Amino acid sequence: VSATAKQTADTLDPEELRDAARRLLADQVERRAGWGKEGAPPDTHALEAEIAGLGWPLLTIPASYGGLGQDFLTLVPIYEEIGRSLSPVTIADTMTAVDVLTVADDSVARGVLERIVEGTARVAVGFAASFNSASLTLGLTTVRGATGATDLMLLPESVEGRVALVDLRGAGVAVKSAVTWDRGRVFGDITLNDVKGRPLAIEVREATQIARAHADLAMAWDSIGAAEQALTEAVAYMCTRQQFGRPVGSFQALKHRAADLKVGLELARALARRASDLYAERAEGWNDCAGQARLLAVDSFRAIAEEAVQFHGGIGFTWEHDCHLFLKRALMNEMLGETPEQIRDRVAGGIFTRALARGA
Amino acid sequence: MTDDPKLEMLRSEVRSWLSQNVPANWREQQAGDNIEAFVASQRDWLARLVAAGYATPHWPQGWPGGGRTLAEQVAIFEEIARADAPRMSLFFVSLYHAAMTLLEHGTAAQTSRHLPAILKGEIWCQGFSEPNAGSDLASLKTSAVLKDGRYVVNGQKIWSTLGQFADWCLLLVRTRTSGAKQAGITFLLLDMRSKGVTSRSIRQITGDEEFAELFLDNVEIPVENRVGAENEGWRVAQTTLSSERGLTLVELTERLARSLWRLVGLVTTGGTATERLDDEARRRIVDIASRIEALRAMIATLTARRIAGQEVPGDASIIKLAYARVLRDFSALGLRLRGMAAQRDTDYVLGAGYETGNWMFDFMNSYQWNIAGGSNEIQRNIISERVLMLPRERLA
Repeated sequence: VSATAKQTADTLDPEELRDAARRLLADQVERRAGWGKEGAPPDTHALEAEIAGLGWPLLTIPASYGGLGQDFLTLVPIYEEIGRSLSPVTIADTMTAVDVLTVADDSVARGVLERIVEGTARVAVGFAASFNSASLTLGLTTVRGATGATDLMLLPESVEGRVALVDLRGAGVAVKSAVTWDRGRVFGDITLNDVKGRPLAIEVREATQIARAHADLAMAWDSIGAAEQALTEAVAYMCTRQQFGRPVGSFQALKHRAADLKVGLELARALARRASDLYAERAEGWNDCAGQARLLAVDSFRAIAEEAVQFHGGIGFTWEHDCHLFLKRALMNEMLGETPEQIRDRVAGGIFTRALARGA
Repeated sequence: MTDDPKLEMLRSEVRSWLSQNVPANWREQQAGDNIEAFVASQRDWLARLVAAGYATPHWPQGWPGGGRTLAEQVAIFEEIARADAPRMSLFFVSLYHAAMTLLEHGTAAQTSRHLPAILKGEIWCQGFSEPNAGSDLASLKTSAVLKDGRYVVNGQKIWSTLGQFADWCLLLVRTRTSGAKQAGITFLLLDMRSKGVTSRSIRQITGDEEFAELFLDNVEIPVENRVGAENEGWRVAQTTLSSERGLTLVELTERLARSLWRLVGLVTTGGTATERLDDEARRRIVDIASRIEALRAMIATLTARRIAGQEVPGDASIIKLAYARVLRDFSALGLRLRGMAAQRDTDYVLGAGYETGNWMFDFMNSYQWNIAGGSNEIQRNIISERVLMLPRERLA
């Protein structure tokens, strides 16, 4: 892989990054890792080392911290390709933290950013009800990437309190691997017992908006990449599977549903692109639009993954076929962090306010 | 996303013209108008647009406001929609379908006769569909036999938009019955005042009469009214069908966004708290708002692709199917949220687009986009076969 982020100059071409990402992930991701009989989670070390070597986490870190100073749009093809490959690893949580840390810009933030640049830090993100960052005693369940993470960015669910960074390698911390139905990813339960967190110099409201929006967009693109791959594989199957003397894909009962799924996917992609542009510029409505983009994207992915099983018939119902890998990831993507209902309720206020202002 | 300065200047010109020329309170003024009053207001609106050069930006240079790029045409359509100006519905077939067909395939005599007349308000309709040739348009049967320099035409056409008001008709006829069905079709221009032409309005499920049936009984059409060669009408018809180049949906999607704002206003004001929004209704509005926003973003992307000459097969079908579904779901949501108020048969505005504010009317009317211009099922065939490359169905 030649087009690594580290080697390239000032502005990076997202399509070159996409090519590099697609090649790396095609080469390194064994999508059935984690799905063996013994139930061991996928081993992520080699892939994490590759990604660190390519310098992806440096992309959006400002140059003043030793990063590449790119905007959010350079992460889009990476998130999409990670989704397409059903990768066990994502950089979404670390990069979400990066956007909060660069705004905080205090000594705690700078320390973590430097370690991300060095390739020695990976950050998990969690939300908890109000907490006292001087003495953290709480549990977080089913946190993505927790077992491989070095640090935790902990945000309060209310607007009170502070955002805290927690060293996951320190005393009083226990991280236990958690098995989910989406076995292709690693999750963990984190238990903190009288752990001293380091508060960040950023308002909770701002940190929450940034963290939610970045996570929403990362999830949207992950879902879009995976959805497109699931649809491509289902269509390929329907072109070859013969019944009644012709390919099943020639039946309108199936092809019309495939067409509807394609339209849903293209709508989701269009909104995700717009939302990503808004987020990169922090232009009006950026935080709500990110939530809306995630809603459409996870909905499209779930619909495609569900129908893909049906399109495949009996073979799609087997463990041996990959259909269920997509389905389980789609159902996880829909729920992880926030449910669609929570997102709808979160973005409704902003959408209504802008609609009323424009309609007036 | 930002337009270049020239385009921005055009937009501000259009905006300022619209602020002076959109009839004040036209929605209130025209609510409940009958079809004759509607025709009169459309004529007035056309005259204003022609004078300003905004009716024919897509015509060649030399015509009023002609020679505009597609990007400029898009900008004009968007501004007209954003100003909530009346639609150009009565003259759309004249300005786009008829004019663009004649400009590409017509003789000098045909263009010099009709283009100036269209600017003055000559109304055209389309005589394509037949009772037994809807989705399968190429199987049309209306016959034309050439005799002494005149085609003698017999048959029936249906779904001619506002055909009862038309002066002229773009007519597809069969001139050969052997061989491929597409290869025996000829394109004619029919003077609606010809002997043997009867038009009858079709009353739709909305109660409106926006379409006509045409009965053609030994109608004579001079051979100089043929467009293109005999039996090559199918190719000419493709120009007619693609003449508006997606501009309608640019406009209608902007109007749909405005309608959403109007709906949010309606459901958040007045009444008691319980009559206002519950959680489910609020979430459904968020969903439809997201889909409308996605549709706008998708149309912007695909329009940019078209402007750059990089259109991909199936783009137009994806947009049309997406719009049709969102429009139906949006009007269904409005219908539900407005409760009994939407069940009352109140006045509405013809020519306001698919969102008059009368939710029952809008819901009923939304079927138009799901059926006309290639039904959803036809679009799904195109998307599955030309975009997803699924195998073709066996054709009759």
